[in-house]
Amino acid sequence: MQGIIRTIRDGSGFDILLLGLALVYLVAFSAFPIIYNIIMSLQTVDMFTITSFKRPFVGLENYSTIFAQPIAATVLWNTVQFVVLSIVFQLSIGFGLALFFQQDFPGATYLRGLFLAGWIMPALVVGAIWKWLFAGDFGVINYVLTALGLTDDRIFWLSDPNVALYAVIIANIWLGIPFNMILLSVGLASIPRDVYEAAELDGAGPLERFRSITLPLMRAQLGAVISLGVIFTLQQFDLIAALTQGGPADSSNVAQYWSWQLSFQTYEISLGSAVSVLMILFVIIVAAAYVRSTRHEHSY
Amino acid sequence: MKRYVLLVIGLMMTATYLFPLYWMYLTALKGSSEIFQYPPTFWPSDPQWNFLEIWKNRDMGRYIWNSLLIAIGVTILVTMLGTGCAYVLSRVRNVWMEIALFAILMMQVLPSSLMVTPIFVMFNQIGLLASPRIAVILAQTAKVLPLYIVLCRATFVQVPRELEEAALVDGSSRIGAFFRIMLPLARNGILVTSVLIFLQSFGEYVYARSLIAKNELQTATVGLQTFMGPNANDWNGIMTYAAIYVTPILIVFMLLQRRIVSGLTAGALK
Repeated sequence: MQGIIRTIRDGSGFDILLLGLALVYLVAFSAFPIIYNIIMSLQTVDMFTITSFKRPFVGLENYSTIFAQPIAATVLWNTVQFVVLSIVFQLSIGFGLALFFQQDFPGATYLRGLFLAGWIMPALVVGAIWKWLFAGDFGVINYVLTALGLTDDRIFWLSDPNVALYAVIIANIWLGIPFNMILLSVGLASIPRDVYEAAELDGAGPLERFRSITLPLMRAQLGAVISLGVIFTLQQFDLIAALTQGGPADSSNVAQYWSWQLSFQTYEISLGSAVSVLMILFVIIVAAAYVRSTRHEHSY
Repeated sequence: MKRYVLLVIGLMMTATYLFPLYWMYLTALKGSSEIFQYPPTFWPSDPQWNFLEIWKNRDMGRYIWNSLLIAIGVTILVTMLGTGCAYVLSRVRNVWMEIALFAILMMQVLPSSLMVTPIFVMFNQIGLLASPRIAVILAQTAKVLPLYIVLCRATFVQVPRELEEAALVDGSSRIGAFFRIMLPLARNGILVTSVLIFLQSFGEYVYARSLIAKNELQTATVGLQTFMGPNANDWNGIMTYAAIYVTPILIVFMLLQRRIVSGLTAGALK
C-alpha cells in the first residue's frame, strides 16, 4: 500500500494515473460506443428492442437494406459532392486569402484574425443566418444577384431540389474558409524570405515563384489541411439541420445526416448504426493518413 | 502607398466575409415590415430595440442557462481529466505514449452525429437519459477531450524540461513539481484552450437535440432551431435571438483573438 502511494506521489505511478484517467474516460465514452455501434449494426434495434440486452442478430442484413434503399445512391453522391466541392473552394479561397494577408501592410494580422469570427460561432446560428440570406423572396443574396444582372429570376435556394445541396455547400465553404486560411498562413510564414529573394534575383516572376517555391514547400501543409477538411466536412450536421434538413426530397441529404434521421426520426436504429459504422470507418482511415503524414515530419 | 492600397483591399475582403454577421445585426434592428422590403435596405430606417422582448417571449433565459450549465460542466470535466494527460504525453516519450497519442488523435475526429446513435442507446439502457443534461455533458466531454489534450500538450511541450528537473533535484515530489512549476507555467495555454472548449460546448447542438427530450432542459441552439420552425417568417425575431446568443461569444473571441489563433495553429500542425 505504502509502495503504491509512493509511486503515485513520486514515480511512474503518477504518469500512469494521470494518463489513465483520461484514457479510461475515452474508452468508456468513445471507444466502447464504437464497438457497441458495430454490434448494433448486426442486430435488429428499434423502439421495441431498444432497452433489451438480448437482441436477435441478423448478420449483414442491415447493410444490404441500407444499400437497397432508393435514396442510398443519392445520399452517397451528395456526400461526395458536399465533401469535394466544400474542400476545393475552402482550400482555394483560404489559400488565396492566406497569400494576400501574408503581404506586409498595416493591420494584416488583425484583419486575418477577424475571419475566425465565422469559425467560432455555433454552426447552427451560422445556418440560421444563411437561411435568411438565402430566403427566396426577401433574401439579400437574390437581391444582389439580380441587381448585378447575374440572374434574371429569383433562385429558391433552399426549396429548389436542384440547388438546395449547393446552398448548403456555399454556407459550409463560408464556415471552413477561416480555418483553412489560418493553417495555411502558418505554413507560409515558415518559408524563409531569402528563398524568394534569390529566385527574384534569378529573374523568376511571381507566378513562377509560386509554382516552384510556394507550392512544393507547402505540400505537407496542404495535405494536412485537406485531410482536416474532409474530417470537418463529414462532421457538419448543424448547418444541414438549420438550412434544409436534408430536403427537399432528400436532395441535400448527406450520409452523416441520414444516419441521424434513421436513428432519431424513423427509429430504424440498426440502420442508422450501419450507416454510422461505415462513415466512422471512413473518417478514421482519413484521420490515420493525416496523423501518419504529420508525425512523419516531426519524428523524434 | 502600396501598403495602403493593400490595406483597403484587405478591409474590403474582411467586410465581404463578415457580411452575414452584419446582416444578422441589421435584421435584428430593423422593424418587422422593413425586413420584407424589396429591394432590401442596408441601414435600418427606424431601428427597433426588441432584444428584451425576444429574450422574454422566447424564454431565452432558460435556454441560455441550460447551455451555460452544459458548457461549464464540460469545461470542468475536460480540464480535470485532460490537463494531467496532456502533461504526461508531453514529457514521457516511448512507444506506449505514441500509441496513446495516436488513439487520442483518432478519437478527436469522430463526428457527433454518428456517435450519437450508440451513445443514445447505451445511455438509455443504463438510465442516464433520466438526467439528460448530465448525459449531454458526458457525451460532449468525450467529443472535446481529445482536442483539449492535443492543444494542451503543445503548451506543455514549450515549458522547458530543465525547470521541472531543477525542482525535482531540490527535493520536490512529482506531484509538487506538477502543481507548483508546470501548471503555473502552462497556465495561459490551459486557459485559452479551456475557453475554446467552453465556446464549442456552449454552441453544442447534436447531443442536446438527440438526448434531451424535455423542452425545459433544452439548450439555446435547440431553442433557436424550434424558433426557426418549418414556416418561420419572424426573421426579425430569429436574428434578434441569434444576435443575443452570439454576441457574448464574439466578445470573448475578440478579447482572446490572438491567443486563440496561436494556440489553435500550434496544436493542429504538431
